Amino acid sequence: MRRLLLHPKLVLATRILLGLIFLAAALPKIADPPGFAKAIWAYGLFPPWSINPLALLLPWLELVCGLALCLGRWTRAAALWCSILLLAFSLALAIDLARQHPTDCGCFGSSSQRSEAERMVDMRWALGRDLGLLLLAIQLSWSSLRRQDRRPGSEPEGARP
Amino acid sequence: MAPSPRSPALHFLALAGLAAAAALIANALASPARHLAWRRSAAAPLAFPSPTERPGPQAGADSGQSVLAPPARPAPPPGPSRPAARAEEVAASSPIREISSGEAWEAFKSGVPFLDARRRAEFAEGHVAGAWCAPVWESDLDERLLSFKAARRPGPEDAIVIYCSGGECRDSHLLAARLLDEGYGHLLIYRDGFPDWLGQKRPVETGQP
Repeated sequence: MRRLLLHPKLVLATRILLGLIFLAAALPKIADPPGFAKAIWAYGLFPPWSINPLALLLPWLELVCGLALCLGRWTRAAALWCSILLLAFSLALAIDLARQHPTDCGCFGSSSQRSEAERMVDMRWALGRDLGLLLLAIQLSWSSLRRQDRRPGSEPEGARP
Repeated sequence: MAPSPRSPALHFLALAGLAAAAALIANALASPARHLAWRRSAAAPLAFPSPTERPGPQAGADSGQSVLAPPARPAPPPGPSRPAARAEEVAASSPIREISSGEAWEAFKSGVPFLDARRRAEFAEGHVAGAWCAPVWESDLDERLLSFKAARRPGPEDAIVIYCSGGECRDSHLLAARLLDEGYGHLLIYRDGFPDWLGQKRPVETGQP
């Protein structure tokens, strides 16, 4: 099982997939920071002073991490950032689901208007997706760590294409 | 050369630094519709409206009071009063209250100014005829409110109708809270917003603010 999880082709596919997803998530938010600020505010979890800085910084962090993963540079650091971000997104969704507070995920930019019931269903899907992506990011971090441990002095980062 | 054990930590910080630098540059170069202030102005309340703070859905609609009448000042009750009557009294005296579609139309015909709290792009696609664009999430809200006040010179007791997209949209409530902070005390939130206005085939304009 461990050998399968650390197989270079699987690690490469995970890295590219996660990188592309982060790029796809970042671009609409970078194109519309006020829309993303509104999405963050709608969660009702963040103090007002933090909303605009988060809306400005998070999409660019997603973009640089996505680029790093796609290019195979600084993979371990990028996978760690992705894990932290995905954990934070999952927590935010889980808290709002637990308190029955329907929110548009805002994960890939603004979405069209939906009813409360539709948004609750979307939130469950988004939480499942984020947890799945979190597992991929953890696998990537683990594989880059193992690779470094096994070959000290050689290429420290994740599998390269 | 052997990699330094500190390099992943440095890469971790470098990614954050790159993101911060890119965000600073992109925001500095962004157009007004995309620009976001790093710090919100102190006059822009962003408190999440809780259900108890929301005006009752029928406030003003069934009270028999004209939508244009300024809110009544609540008088201390002379004796024990029924809770329902007390609730109506509170709704009528609230400086921010929701109005129905018919009341919004009545206000429009009476020349009450309308403020559109939606995004500038949505305003350009269509808005209540004569409405002023005041997108709460865009950085030039202060300038837009200033030009509205300079042109219409609304007094603190004058009615102002605020709308957004109806349904779960809270932008009109945020804008109302902002205007309340500035001393305006007769703020009418068009509950069903622009989709209802469009559905009722009432006068609409398109184009940039």
